[in-house]
Amino acid sequence: MRSAGLQVIAAKEFGDHIRSRRFHLIFGIFLIIAIVGLISGVVEYHENLDQYNKMQETVTGDDQNYYSSYFSWKPSIISAFTQMISLISAIGVFLGVAMSFDLITKEKESKSLKILLSHPIYRDEVINGKALGGIAAILLALVIVFGLSLAIILIMGIVPNLEETVRILIFGGISFILIFSTFAIALFMSSIAKDSGSALVYAMIIVITLSTLVPIIQSGGVMDVIVGPAPEYPGVVFERTVPMGAMSSTSVMVSSSNDDDTKVVDKEEYERQMEEYEEASQAYWERRQSVRDLIMLVSPTSNYERIALAVTEPMYARSLMNSGDYYSFDDTRDEIPQDSLSELVELLGYLLKNIVALVVVPVAFFGLAWVRFMREDVR
Amino acid sequence: MGDIGISIPKQRNVALMIRCEHLTKTYNGVPAVDDLCLDIQAGETFGLLGPNGAGKSTTILMLIGLIEPTAGACFIDDLEVAKNPIEVKHRIGYMPEDVGFYATLTAEENLDYSAKLYGMGADKRKERIAYLLDLVGLDNVEKDVGDYSKGMRQRLGLAKALINEPKVIILDEPTANLDPQGVADYRRIIGQVADEGTTVLVSSHILSEVSRVCTSAAILSRGRLVVSGTWEELAAAATGNRENITIHVETHSPMPAFDDPAIISVDYSDHRQKAKIVARSDIRDGIADALLAEGIAVRLIEAQEPTLEDVFLSYYHEEAVL
Repeated sequence: MRSAGLQVIAAKEFGDHIRSRRFHLIFGIFLIIAIVGLISGVVEYHENLDQYNKMQETVTGDDQNYYSSYFSWKPSIISAFTQMISLISAIGVFLGVAMSFDLITKEKESKSLKILLSHPIYRDEVINGKALGGIAAILLALVIVFGLSLAIILIMGIVPNLEETVRILIFGGISFILIFSTFAIALFMSSIAKDSGSALVYAMIIVITLSTLVPIIQSGGVMDVIVGPAPEYPGVVFERTVPMGAMSSTSVMVSSSNDDDTKVVDKEEYERQMEEYEEASQAYWERRQSVRDLIMLVSPTSNYERIALAVTEPMYARSLMNSGDYYSFDDTRDEIPQDSLSELVELLGYLLKNIVALVVVPVAFFGLAWVRFMREDVR
Repeated sequence: MGDIGISIPKQRNVALMIRCEHLTKTYNGVPAVDDLCLDIQAGETFGLLGPNGAGKSTTILMLIGLIEPTAGACFIDDLEVAKNPIEVKHRIGYMPEDVGFYATLTAEENLDYSAKLYGMGADKRKERIAYLLDLVGLDNVEKDVGDYSKGMRQRLGLAKALINEPKVIILDEPTANLDPQGVADYRRIIGQVADEGTTVLVSSHILSEVSRVCTSAAILSRGRLVVSGTWEELAAAATGNRENITIHVETHSPMPAFDDPAIISVDYSDHRQKAKIVARSDIRDGIADALLAEGIAVRLIEAQEPTLEDVFLSYYHEEAVL
């Protein structure tokens, strides 16, 4: 038989969060920047829409067929939310940390843990209640941000369609998971640290490592260390015509265009080397990409940014599904589902590993915090 | 001197409210509580005495289900604590030594939170909180608990321990931070609660505090039970057949050495004009006769009842020697 403890603790924790000055301060900054970002996004949306309408009016006949592939994409209001991605990954993560780094340590420091646990409640209700209270507060914060955003959009005369509404909800959902990720990280640190100050430092180290250092690791020299150097290019060769007597000539491959420093290269041997190089090079860059993808999966902010950008920026999503390239906006896909909701479902399927990785981090850290708290020795 | 680990039998017709059966708790192989057997009757006001590190707090934490015994078991109201933690906690009110509350909430809010965790309804909570705040003298305090003195927090801790109208209240060093008025109020409240039939377990290293409110006590040392029983039983067991005799003589002649075989020890002072004798029987007549035979006038010769402190120290020293 479960007690009423979970509900009571969750309600109390929720109340503590929404009354806390720390929460007010970070959420206030978050809200202001979000709204400013959204308004600038809406302004940009209007500009793009005007351009689109003008283009539709001016392009006619054969030109229309030519340009239609590029301009078939009517600007969507969802793009206005793209402005909020970097904001949420920069400030939202600190909101999560600020809300939970002292949830357990504060109970120990104020000596209230013994009294709390002397009530007729199971120990897991305490940690679950704290998590639920935090989840409710994060959801409230996001509901306010997204609710105000929608209100602003509506006030500005834009009514999102079903697909755009679904995209906004998905964006809100993954934003929640990101903030809860850092909440769970800080909660775990709070369960292992001796005091709140240490818990905050530990949590910040982990969050900064995952959101800043991991993306740095996946680029440049660190990747060279992990994957090794790229295969060596066999070298540039030049084709040169060599006279063969008075009336004839032949073509040879030479290693340099400089007559003083050139060697004749065996053509067959060179072609074999080039073939080997191309195979090795392809394998190397695929391996490098796999390692990079794997490293990026560890970073909640990288996963979040990738998913959020794909959800809020349809052109990026299409290029992603076409080429798999993170930052390419090439639109070379042959078959794009005409039903935009089907395309969204396909996109989410494509991003499944990022979505799973994004969910795994909070689940793993909350699991660790849970186990640690359940094994906590109360003396 | 009493044997180590003795437990004076209780009356058989009274139900036991707290029972420890070979209760043991070790940390990294070091016993904090070692094979403790203890019975506390329903309605009893019982003291758990012992120096710091004796195992009192560890025993209490096992009784309220916050830590599990390494071996043995403890029971509250015939329910094994480790197997029925929720049911047991409904029967217990607990105040720890370092009583802590949520600093940003008022006393009323803290108690309301606690009452909700006991599943009490809104009307009952309101009524009970008002009664308890009045009882502990915090009824007119509106500020957050973070601004309370230690003594005020201790009073609130007592109110919290009583919020669920428990069958048993367990208080760990309850007067540690109280001023004299707070101590007097605490004694009054404990007396009132005990009169209502609640079993009270008080843990302390301050003998006088325990002796003022408790009818029985157990002495722990290094995790082991030294002795338990009523104060009279403890005193009798502690002193056995021993007599403490004090002698003052009038003249400047020093007292002679006494050679009565019943004498265990003699402690002279003031140029042998005063002496404290510990003997196996009341040998006052023989001593008086011996002094008069030497021409020494006796101003005072009396046998003294052992104080509680004597009892406590005798057990403690016995255990320490062992």
